[in-house]
Amino acid sequence: MVPISAYLIVAVVLFGIGTMGVLISRNIIVLFMCVELMLNAANLALIAFSRSLNIMDGHAFVFLVLTVAAAEAAVGLAMVITIYNNRESINIDRFNILKW
Amino acid sequence: MDFPFPEYNLQYMLPEIFLFVWALVVISFDLLSKRNNGSTTGYLTLFGIAIAGLLLGLVGNGKGFGKMFINDNVAVFFKVIFLGAAFMAVGSSFGVMQKKIVNHRGEFYALLLMSTTGMMFLSSSQELLSIYLGLELTTIPLFAMAAFYKDDKLSVESGIKYFIIGAFSSALMVYGMSFLYGLTGSTDLAQMKVAFFKTHLQFGDMGIVMILALIMLAAGIGFKLALPPFHQWAPDVYEGAPTPVAAFLSVGSKGAGLIAFAKIFVDGLYAYHSPDMAPNDWGMLIGILAIAAMVLGNVLAIRQTNIKRMLAYSSIAQAGYIMIGMVALSASGIASVGFYLFIYLFANMGAFAAVAVFEDMTGSCQIKSYAGLARTSPFFSAVMAVFLLSLAGIPPLAGFLAKYYVFASVVDVAQRSADSSWMYWMVGIGLLTTVFALFYYANVIKVMFFSPETSPYKVEAPLPAKAVLAIGVIGVLLFGLYPEPILQFATGISSSLHFMP
Amino acid sequence: MSEYLSILIFILIGTGIVLFTFLLSRLIRPHNPYHAKNLNYECAEEPVGNSWFQFNNRFYIFALIFVIFDVEVIFLFPWAVAFGQLGLFALVEMVIFILILFFGIFYAWKKGALKWV
Repeated sequence: MVPISAYLIVAVVLFGIGTMGVLISRNIIVLFMCVELMLNAANLALIAFSRSLNIMDGHAFVFLVLTVAAAEAAVGLAMVITIYNNRESINIDRFNILKW
Repeated sequence: MDFPFPEYNLQYMLPEIFLFVWALVVISFDLLSKRNNGSTTGYLTLFGIAIAGLLLGLVGNGKGFGKMFINDNVAVFFKVIFLGAAFMAVGSSFGVMQKKIVNHRGEFYALLLMSTTGMMFLSSSQELLSIYLGLELTTIPLFAMAAFYKDDKLSVESGIKYFIIGAFSSALMVYGMSFLYGLTGSTDLAQMKVAFFKTHLQFGDMGIVMILALIMLAAGIGFKLALPPFHQWAPDVYEGAPTPVAAFLSVGSKGAGLIAFAKIFVDGLYAYHSPDMAPNDWGMLIGILAIAAMVLGNVLAIRQTNIKRMLAYSSIAQAGYIMIGMVALSASGIASVGFYLFIYLFANMGAFAAVAVFEDMTGSCQIKSYAGLARTSPFFSAVMAVFLLSLAGIPPLAGFLAKYYVFASVVDVAQRSADSSWMYWMVGIGLLTTVFALFYYANVIKVMFFSPETSPYKVEAPLPAKAVLAIGVIGVLLFGLYPEPILQFATGISSSLHFMP
Repeated sequence: MSEYLSILIFILIGTGIVLFTFLLSRLIRPHNPYHAKNLNYECAEEPVGNSWFQFNNRFYIFALIFVIFDVEVIFLFPWAVAFGQLGLFALVEMVIFILILFFGIFYAWKKGALKWV
């Protein structure tokens, strides 16, 4: 039996990688993947808690988080394609028309 | 094995269900009717929103889906605000539809209706899962709507910025929620409250994980509310997005963030900041965010030359004023927050509608192109001035009362509790920043009325936009002089949130 | 700790077997590369150009429509497992759910998103 702390440590590490990726990465596709990584860290934590508490709510939560992540990815990728057609680039340093 | 079936009670969900079905109707209508000029689709949407409002009045209070969907005073109050925001946003979008969005009109309105459905669902939710779903259903359509001018670089850029920030913040929020779930073993806010009381009685301290979870939740919701230090997206998105979308964002998205905040922090985790447990700590953190929002928003708004950017910074500042009421955490504090948001709906949607009308005609959002507008279209300029003065909080208008109630509720709490000098500081800074606010709002009015040149434009608004402007002006003037009905409506909120007086 | 030790041993043996078979086949196979053998494998078709090129972004639409029904299965699976106890109401609910998804694909179809231009 793997202790719950092991799952949580993996979740924290995944979340940390995801957050650093979002903050550092300059490529939108990589940035999306990092957001997905963060969501999956949350999913892992939810499932681990659900398993150790023996309550099923966490599973339902994970289903819906997965669905929302898919919807988000669909909208996001559509926008990436639009902006690529517009700018010929997916580097976020080039998205700098709007600024104060 | 038998499943315990919850009581569905679908009738309490009727407005949401209707709105969603209506979104499908609108999108199919636009698909099947070849090349109408877009206004029929718009009127159809307005009709649907009105019907949903009617249904909301008919269904009454009650619970459905076990306890996952609750129609109480808070829910109804916020649903009225969201439906109002949707109505006014659709009303001010007719000009955009004729000029800039030639294809996919049905999608625009359907996305708006779905986003409204999400907001309404959010205001009825009573546990973390449905709060998360409601917030996502609110924001995902808004990402697409912000980027709706597909060939316009500004619009697409604003959409992608909003998307990155939105996705990042919701990931933060889910992670925070997973911790709360792990600590309490429930996603239901009422059960979480009980669990926290128990933990507190046992250990006296919630521990570092709890604090981390709360910080993540606050950051996630802070992004939606555009509170500093999570505010940078707001001006960019408001400037780039279509103006009706910016208007809807400023009221709808802000209201959604606010109701999520109230549900989680005021209702659910009340145990965490009740006086004998963690005196003032949490309130002070929110107070600092509120002060930062008021100062940053109002100071940065002064140097803006684009009116949509100016309104964006002003909306950041307004979020700060709203959060002051949240700091009070008393019955009158919550009521003042509700009142503020209600008045903000009229004034801000009105101001954005006026900007939209002007933009449709001239294609410009620069403040300097408003020069001398009072000479050619005095009525329009006067309406715009009324909205701006209400946002600034000038006495006969409703905005003044809203600010007054918010500040009064904090002062009231500060008098009753010990160690509250920081609350007086907060009120003092808030009052000071209203003076800054007056400066930039009055600047627009000065440009319109006292500029030596005469404007080359004469404003002609389409009929629905006229109606929206009229609703806004009537709301701001009427509730400024006669605020009792809204006040009573807003006071009803506090009876539904379960905290001690 | 002993469970982890067994996992470690398992990993070592697994890696060892793979390396061993590679080594063995390298030792006993004949070494005779020519052009047709070095090409990318594309189901016996003659490959055109390099495999490192940008895919047409119209594929995105099809991927998106796939995702709709891909995610649907997440909900169908637990529903199917519990269906025996749930009865008619759940059936109606699921039919409505799938009809909404079908509305999505119908809309995409009518809008011409499925056409390859």
